[in-house]
Amino acid sequence: MATKEEFLNNIANELGRPRITAPVEKPVWRHQPQHAVLQGLSQDQLVEALQAQCAVGHTSVDVVPLAQLEATLDRILDGLQADSVIAADDRRNDEFGMTTYYEQLKNKMDMHIWKEEAGEENLRFAERARVGITFSDVTLAESGTVVLFMNEQMGRGISLLPHAHIAIVPKSTIVPRMTQAAQTVRGKLKGEGKVPSCVSFISGPSKSADIEMNLVVGVHGPVEVFYIVVDDQ
Amino acid sequence: MSIRISNDPYDKRIDKGVANDFMRESIASAQGRFRSGKLAASEELGDWEDWRSLGEEIRTHTLNHLDYYLNQLTEQVEARGGNVFFAKDAAEANEYIKKVAQSKNAKKVVKSKSMVTEEIGLNKALAEVGADVVETDLGEWILQLDGDLPSHIVTPALHLNKEQIKDTFVKYRGYDSTSTPEDLALFARKQLREEFLAADIGITGCNFAIAESGTVTLVTNEGNARLSTTLPKTQISVMGMERIVPTWEEMEVLVSLLTRSAVGQKLTSYITAITGVRQEGETDGPEEYHLVIVDNGRSKILGTEFQSALHCIRCAACINACPVYRQIGGHAYGSIYPGPIGAVLTPLLDGYENHKELPYASTLCAACTDACPVKIPLHEHLVRHRENIVELGMAPKMEKVAMKGFVQWASHPAAYKLSSKLARTAMKPWTKDEKITDGPSILKEWTKERDFPAPPKETFRHWFKNRKEEK
Amino acid sequence: MKVSLFITCMADIFAWQVGKATVELLEKYGCEVDFPEGQTCCGQPSYNSGYKKETIKSMKHMIDVFEDAEYIVGPSGSCVYMLREYEHILKDDPEYSEKAKKFSRKAYEITQFLYEVLEVRNIPSTFKGKVTYHPSCHMTRLLGVKEAPLRLLESIEGVDVVPLPQAEDCCGFGGTFAVKNAVISGRMVDEKAHHVEETEAEYLVGGDMACLMNIQGRLTREGKNVEVLHIVEILNQFSNEEVKK
Repeated sequence: MATKEEFLNNIANELGRPRITAPVEKPVWRHQPQHAVLQGLSQDQLVEALQAQCAVGHTSVDVVPLAQLEATLDRILDGLQADSVIAADDRRNDEFGMTTYYEQLKNKMDMHIWKEEAGEENLRFAERARVGITFSDVTLAESGTVVLFMNEQMGRGISLLPHAHIAIVPKSTIVPRMTQAAQTVRGKLKGEGKVPSCVSFISGPSKSADIEMNLVVGVHGPVEVFYIVVDDQ
Repeated sequence: MSIRISNDPYDKRIDKGVANDFMRESIASAQGRFRSGKLAASEELGDWEDWRSLGEEIRTHTLNHLDYYLNQLTEQVEARGGNVFFAKDAAEANEYIKKVAQSKNAKKVVKSKSMVTEEIGLNKALAEVGADVVETDLGEWILQLDGDLPSHIVTPALHLNKEQIKDTFVKYRGYDSTSTPEDLALFARKQLREEFLAADIGITGCNFAIAESGTVTLVTNEGNARLSTTLPKTQISVMGMERIVPTWEEMEVLVSLLTRSAVGQKLTSYITAITGVRQEGETDGPEEYHLVIVDNGRSKILGTEFQSALHCIRCAACINACPVYRQIGGHAYGSIYPGPIGAVLTPLLDGYENHKELPYASTLCAACTDACPVKIPLHEHLVRHRENIVELGMAPKMEKVAMKGFVQWASHPAAYKLSSKLARTAMKPWTKDEKITDGPSILKEWTKERDFPAPPKETFRHWFKNRKEEK
Repeated sequence: MKVSLFITCMADIFAWQVGKATVELLEKYGCEVDFPEGQTCCGQPSYNSGYKKETIKSMKHMIDVFEDAEYIVGPSGSCVYMLREYEHILKDDPEYSEKAKKFSRKAYEITQFLYEVLEVRNIPSTFKGKVTYHPSCHMTRLLGVKEAPLRLLESIEGVDVVPLPQAEDCCGFGGTFAVKNAVISGRMVDEKAHHVEETEAEYLVGGDMACLMNIQGRLTREGKNVEVLHIVEILNQFSNEEVKK
């Protein structure tokens, strides 16, 4: 069995030099086109770009003021004939009125908040829930993507196992593209010393083109995806 | 399975591919869609050439410092509660993964699409210890049910039509609905969800490992990689040792290049970045995590003229651009890596002996080189392979004689002049109506498919000389 | 301007009229054309087959033959690309590296030379007809000559250029590929011939004799009524007086 040292020494050897032990400073890349994409757009223009991409990406988008968030959620849940919902225990729930909204939902349907102490029940519930609701941590206008930093309040299963996923997108989270999201994650690494155990970039519903190159929506992940952009500024 | 997928000789594989009309049509149509999608998506990015240059820069730097970045990756994964194993070949990788499976007493393993696990023949190895591996990518699952092989690295079941797929589902899983892709996919969703829920171990490949944070990034559209990294308690990621980037910034760039080049999407539905085991308080994700880093012939490519072949990010853009692939399909290459990159990589990983025809399965039209998002000079690598094959004495004797003769001819103007003058006369026996329809010797291969022109009465140099004299 | 013609073996033996048109075109635009008699083939067939060491001998011969040339101009994107590769192939050769560099940098494909060096934009050719253009692979992707031939063709009043479907696809020639992988090559050229037919053009035009010979061979085999011409044969149809206008 090769040890790590043997393995890495062999690489250095094949590259025709000794092992690199001192930290490597990565170069400043000569080409950096990524920063120019959707640069200089206002937040409203970014919302438009997001909507345009979602329109071709099988993702439904509503753009509403905070006061209409609940009504929008009601409408989407009705449309989905939702009888069970699982949601993240997000730090933003209070600010966006979700804490009371979820309380009220409990009177109408099966409602579960993902919590550490619920243990295995979190996944079990997510597996049979019709809808999963999360916030977006960073939102990418170019690709119509919500980025979720998973943690004990927001398990991976909420946005994955149910039939539908609703992402509440605070308008302030929208950035041009993945470039900015990568910088945010690097910021976490520098600030907190670590990155989340799972960062999920989600761009609409699950898809496949494996059968005769025909696009089919909804293979393993959610079949329907909704973004609600909420003006929080 | 391993890298070699057929024992048939090259010619037989080609004949089989060329004769499969359905496959050729479906590849032609798929290539058309891939190409137009890629074109649109790359145009939207703005300066595509700058993006390619950046991709190349990143890959070059990373490979030149590979030992450093792999070491950093290892430290970071371990800091996040993961185990890292370095495997110098397929056997070591399989042995390790088998041990993990045994220690978990695993009966069922779900796997999301991964070329490197195909390359090392992992499924077979796990079956030896009683673990049943279920492929969860829709295309891979279809192939697995019927014991078929992938013919493309992004859409593995490209060679099958929906009726064939329906038949497979009926035969192996009692399917009783229509052959529409929607119904077929819905059936697969239900069947595979059960497998995910029952799985003891989830296995994934790795599109890009991020050294600075110990992260493995997975690019999918279906979500099977997400399920594989959410439900099972134990997760194993297997990566080719070159699939690494320094930081999240470079991951971002390469993912953008990959999704656009592969499927013409700005991003695929899911980019999932997994770092180590679940954190304290988290109630899903793996409790045990293993990263297996595989060499299996790759290190031998470092430091050689072929090093840039390791830039490959497995997007299949070269395959989708290749007019030869279109005519013969993936299986004809006899390797799990088909198309131009397969013709370059396979002899490097598995030797010339079994793959010496592959570097010639190209017209050197350079459509591959043009399409590659990280600027691998694929057609030039194919010429380098041919040089090696000649050097090793593995080229056909007839060709050697012909080429030596050719070079003599091209180095000696007198011989050249004489032969060009005599060409018409020499061809006369086979000429009819100023063309040759059934030529002799090597010309026969040409005239099987098309006519060959008879050399005209005049040669250029004769005309030029006369003209000069007339003046 | 002094130009040394690089005829290419294909045109020398199989298409003297292409050489004639090239010479006449250059002369009409004021070039003094010479033809170094000792020239042979660019060496691509053996080089691309892996016989590098052997080919270097004939490459050096070509460099010597064209040593005094100011410009080297030839009617083939592929062969001219090969001349441009000499610089890279011989970069470590103590005796020839400098010579090769000089040699490679003065090599031009004919439409490229007309367009880039002589800055010709309008061709007063009297040619009339519906043509479709096959952009050969090495000319377009490796030599990087994409615009010149098309712009020049389109500048001709009587020429109607119809786009060729999947024009960028290789015709299946590929040098020894056409005999070594004859079955695949046959399928490729068949596809190309069908695309040509779809355009309903009267003429198929290109800048590389080898590709044209391949496609023509298939068209005649299938009994198709499309005439195949090298681009210079179309560009050259005007008299000396007209260029001065």
